[in-house]
Amino acid sequence: MNRPSQVTALADLQAIRAFAVLTLDGRKWLLPQAEIQALESLLDIDREVRIPRSIGAVGFAGEWWPVYCLSGELRILSDPPDNRRACPLLDNGADRFGLICDQVEALTVTPRLLALPACMTLPDSPIQALALLNDELGCVTTTERLAALIAAALENADG
Amino acid sequence: MAESAAWVLALDHQLRAAVGERELAHLIEAPILLDVPRSPPYCRQVLVWNDTVLPAMDLAAWLRGQLTQRQEPLAGVFAYQTRPGADPEYGALLLSAIPTRTRVDDDQVCALPKQPRRWQTLAISCFQQGDQPIPILDLPHIFSGGLL
Repeated sequence: MNRPSQVTALADLQAIRAFAVLTLDGRKWLLPQAEIQALESLLDIDREVRIPRSIGAVGFAGEWWPVYCLSGELRILSDPPDNRRACPLLDNGADRFGLICDQVEALTVTPRLLALPACMTLPDSPIQALALLNDELGCVTTTERLAALIAAALENADG
Repeated sequence: MAESAAWVLALDHQLRAAVGERELAHLIEAPILLDVPRSPPYCRQVLVWNDTVLPAMDLAAWLRGQLTQRQEPLAGVFAYQTRPGADPEYGALLLSAIPTRTRVDDDQVCALPKQPRRWQTLAISCFQQGDQPIPILDLPHIFSGGLL
């Protein structure tokens, strides 16, 4: 059985029509496409702009956007793996950052979202739903959840 | 004296547990298991069943606190209700052998095994079969997040 807050979050996500698939170490993470502000090249990352736990920053729309590197399990990495080729800039109106990925693609059809089983939902899980993509499983998250996860990692590093 | 039917499940090469006759819905040999990141170590995968995903839980791993190596994976799909009258919900348990059917009398009731200690959390009762106590699983508790 899923908790009421999980059901609400799933219902909100099910109202979204367009999702993008961000591939990290071969694992597919789905985000609302509207939260992808731009797609930058890795060459555009300025490695000299130091923001804690980031690998640099991208200058976009007159601001520096910190760029992070996460593993397929969403752990912060300090060195990008060789297979990272794209840097989407994520923006939900409150959180803005770049995330380097193996690949970024738009889903051509709206995926059917399934609730993450209650017995698999750890308190800090960034996964808000699951989606079957042919024979693969996609994990649905949001920029807000990723930002919270990065903020928690920063706090732990400080502590 | 009441008698009822149950399935005895092999959670691994040694650990046994039981569920009610109607709780076992389906058996899947060599299930296709899909990894879910950032999930508990004893429940890291789901399987696709009837156009939805079910958690595939390794109860032996949870009981022992370490992962189980499985040579020929087998999954049982189990139905449970979180309250009387509710629609059935489903979850999967990883098994080591085909379940066996048995009949249980009230006079077979016994204490839970002392080891592993975590049986206390999983089981609603226990019965004696031969010289082995067989805990009866609390499926709603297990699949509703009671082990987190």
